[in-house]
Parts: sequence; structure tokens; C-alpha cells
Amino acid sequence: MTLELQHAMKATPTADEAARGRFVSGIRSFILNDLAADLGHAYQTRAAPKFRAANGHDPKTSGDAHKALRGDPAFNIYSSMRVQAQKMVWASVSAGVERDAKRLAELEAQTAGQPGSVQLKPDFIPPRNASAVDVHLMPGSYTGGEGMAAGAVYDRGLAVFSMGLMGSNLDDIGLSMAAYIKRRYPEFAPTAMLDTGCTIGHNSLPWKHAYPEAKLTAIDVAAPGLRYGSTRAKLQGVEADFVQMASDELDFPDASFDLVFSSMFLHELPKKVRAKTIAEAYRVLRPGGLMLHMELPPNGQMAPFEAFYLDWDSYYNNEPYYKGYRDEDPKAVCESGGFGADDYFQFVVPSIGIYGDEAVTQAATSDAAHAVGAETTGRLAEGVMWFGFGAWKR
Amino acid sequence: MSEERQRPEDAPKGIYGPDGEPIFFAEPGVDRMMAVIMNLASELWVERERYLPLDSDRDAEAKAFIDRVFAPLRERKE
Ligand SMILES: C[S@@+](CC[C@H](N)C(=O)[O-])C[C@H]1O[C@@H](n2cnc3c(N)ncnc32)[C@H](O)[C@@H]1O
Repeated sequence: MTLELQHAMKATPTADEAARGRFVSGIRSFILNDLAADLGHAYQTRAAPKFRAANGHDPKTSGDAHKALRGDPAFNIYSSMRVQAQKMVWASVSAGVERDAKRLAELEAQTAGQPGSVQLKPDFIPPRNASAVDVHLMPGSYTGGEGMAAGAVYDRGLAVFSMGLMGSNLDDIGLSMAAYIKRRYPEFAPTAMLDTGCTIGHNSLPWKHAYPEAKLTAIDVAAPGLRYGSTRAKLQGVEADFVQMASDELDFPDASFDLVFSSMFLHELPKKVRAKTIAEAYRVLRPGGLMLHMELPPNGQMAPFEAFYLDWDSYYNNEPYYKGYRDEDPKAVCESGGFGADDYFQFVVPSIGIYGDEAVTQAATSDAAHAVGAETTGRLAEGVMWFGFGAWKR
Repeated sequence: MSEERQRPEDAPKGIYGPDGEPIFFAEPGVDRMMAVIMNLASELWVERERYLPLDSDRDAEAKAFIDRVFAPLRERKE
């Protein structure tokens, strides 16, 4: 349930801090499993019938399910507790990060000469979606605080948040996605890969393991995570170049990558930036290259309650662009970025850490596994499945 | 954080209070009380853990503690 990261920048908590982290992971598990089950039951037995009586039809959309649930006691308890638990996630790691600032800076200095790099641009102004809203209630968001602190808070906070369901170095998404692509497209052999919106590179590194011959570049707009992520990568012996850059204005020539990917990224972008990000991915890909995004599954492919269950974060976890993203059709978004309709694909891959290698191979080699499982896809609770979509450039 | 608030375009009216915090219960004070209760439970757990034997399964103990303390919130008993 509690996760201890497996790299040298991990927290070295006091006994009280460890206990606090354990409580927060535990209460999140209680909310996301037990109270979530009550919420689903309340929806079926109270909220949806009440909505039907008032509107003459069943809830049809995520928005309808939201309206139906507002005011229901199970919704109030679930929601109010989830908001507070999220605040407690970040609070549980902040003192440790402050205490470790010197040690983290020393690790950065010690690894300075190792393969890999970080390039920051002193005049770069991060966009407001990453700096002016405390995304998922993280105080100071991605850009606040001193030095690398925001990167360390993210890493350690996510460790508490994940309840052990996101991999031992929070890399389960990257590991699962890379394994899926390698098995589904065994002939694909990238030589240059780009991760957009990498934060601290936790899900970038698995791609270098999957394709060790390829050069890995990871970009983000937020400097603290890039600095932290570069040191974190070096300490794990993975060579990667971390660069401060926006995904919608890539400073790379046309046709310079075989793979452009992201994880849990597109939903944090305003609509126009997201569209430009896809067009930029198309531009920098070589013919035969692949754009791949791990994301929340789209609302259009889910039942109203399941759709709203994920959209909850947009309204109550400071994710202002998440609902707008989930209302889009990923295929249409790829097409408007320049990809051909026939070159789009999507899939659901079981978490490799939880279900193992064999389950991923099975998903990658059978077309039956490609539907969006409405129940658990995208949820961080028992039964983790990740949604991905992408397109090949002709 | 900045004075500006970014919100989903289709956020229903009235779901945030004047301080920008979401409101769930009809009496908004209850949302805050819920936060207080969770903070208190967390502090109590921290105290508890200090006295646990070294070889105890702390994750399992924490789960049992949470299940016990928060049981009244469950609608469906298992
Ligand atoms: C949720 S995080 C991504 C998490 C990470 N990729 C993972 O695998 O979990 C979103 C990141 O996108 C970054 N970001 C926001 N807008 C961006 C943009 N236009 N270009 C590049 N990065 C951006 C933020 O600074 C933040 O680090």
C-alpha cells in the first residue's frame, strides 16, 4: 500500500512522516475503493432514478450524471473526503522535501558529468495552465518553490497518491505502454524518441529501456521537474536529454523523431494548445513514425456514470481542461493534426506491474482487447488499465 | 496561486464557495468539518504507529484503523 521509491532521491522520512504518508495512502484506498462502491450504488438506486423522474429520461452524459449526483449523501461524503485526501497527499511530503533540499542539490552536482543533460531557458515563461493553477491541488503547481523542490514534491507526493498502483518508480504507465508497442509492432525500431510534458521523466525512462539504441529527449515547460528529472534519470543510469520547451512550439526541425509520446499530459492543456501539440507532433515525426498518447479514455466511449467518475477531477481536483479533453474524440483530434483516418488506433493495456508481462502480450496480440473497459479504465483502484491512442505518420 | 481561477467551461453554477473551494454538503461547514476529522484521524494514527511493535504489518494495521474509524460513513456494510 505505501510505496518506497527505488532511487537515490527518494524520501528519507522520519517515523512520523512515514506514518502520515501511510495514513494518506490508506484513506485514499478507502475512498477510491469502498466509498466509490457506495457512490456507484447510490447512483443506480437513488441519483439516476431521481434524475429520470425529473427529466423524463435517464442521464445520458457525464454532465447529466454530475447533476444527478450533486446533493446525494454518498457523493457528498466521497467528494468531500477526496478533496481533503488530495491536500493531505502534498502536505505529507512537504517537510521532507524542505529538509532534503541540500542533499538533492548535492546529488545533482555529483551526477553533473554523467551521460544525459538538462537545458533550461532562463527567459522562458511557462504557460498559465502549468503555473497559474494549483494543478491537482498541488501547492505552487509545477513551477513554484525553490530549486528542484516542485519536482521532489511531485515524485514523493505521487508515491503517496499512487497507493503502490503506479509502479515502484511511478513508471508503470511507461512500462506498460512501451511493452505493448514493442509486442504489437515488433518491427518498429525508433532511433529518436520525444516525450512531451514529461514532468520528472518517470514515464519517459521505460522507453529508453525498451529501445536502448534510440536517443531519448524529454521536454516540459516547468524547470524544477526537468532539473530533478535529469538527476533522477542519471542516478538510475538512464541517458536522456531534458529540455525546457512547449509541446505546441517545438524547437526541432521537421522529421526529426520516430516516436513522439506523452502520458497523462493532453488533459492538462487548453484546447487550442492541445490541437497545436498534435500538429507539432505530426510535423517533427518522420514518415513511418508513431505518435502515442497515454490518457484518460474519452467520454464518448463510456457510460454516463463511469464518464463522470473520471470527470470528477476536472471540477474538484483543479483540472480545468480535463473535461474538455475527455469530451473530444481522439481520432478526430489526430486527423485535424494531419494524421490519416486509417492510421489512428487505440487500445487498453493492463498494468504490467499488477497483471504481469503475459497479460500485456495478450492485449497486444489480440484485437478483442481493444475496447475501452468502462468499469476500471483510467481509475486508480483495484484493476488498473491504461488507455492509449496514437497514429502513424505515412 | 494566482488570483485568476481556471475552471472547466461547463462547471455548474454554485459548486464553489466564495473562497473558491468546492461545496458539497448543504451546510458548507460540514465540508470543513470533514477535513478536520480526517486531519485528526491522521494525527491519531501517527501517535498509534509510534507504539506498534517493529515487526507489525503497518499497512494492514493502518487499513484496519481506517476501516474502523470511518465505518459509519459506509452505506453498504460488507
Ligand atoms: C500531469 S503532468 C504529466 C505527467 C507525466 N508525463 C506522467 O507520465 O505522469 C503535465 C505536465 O505537462 C507540463 N506542461 C503543461 N503545458 C505544457 C506544454 N505546453 N508543453 C510542455 N509541457 C507542458 C506541466 O509542466 C506538467 O509537468
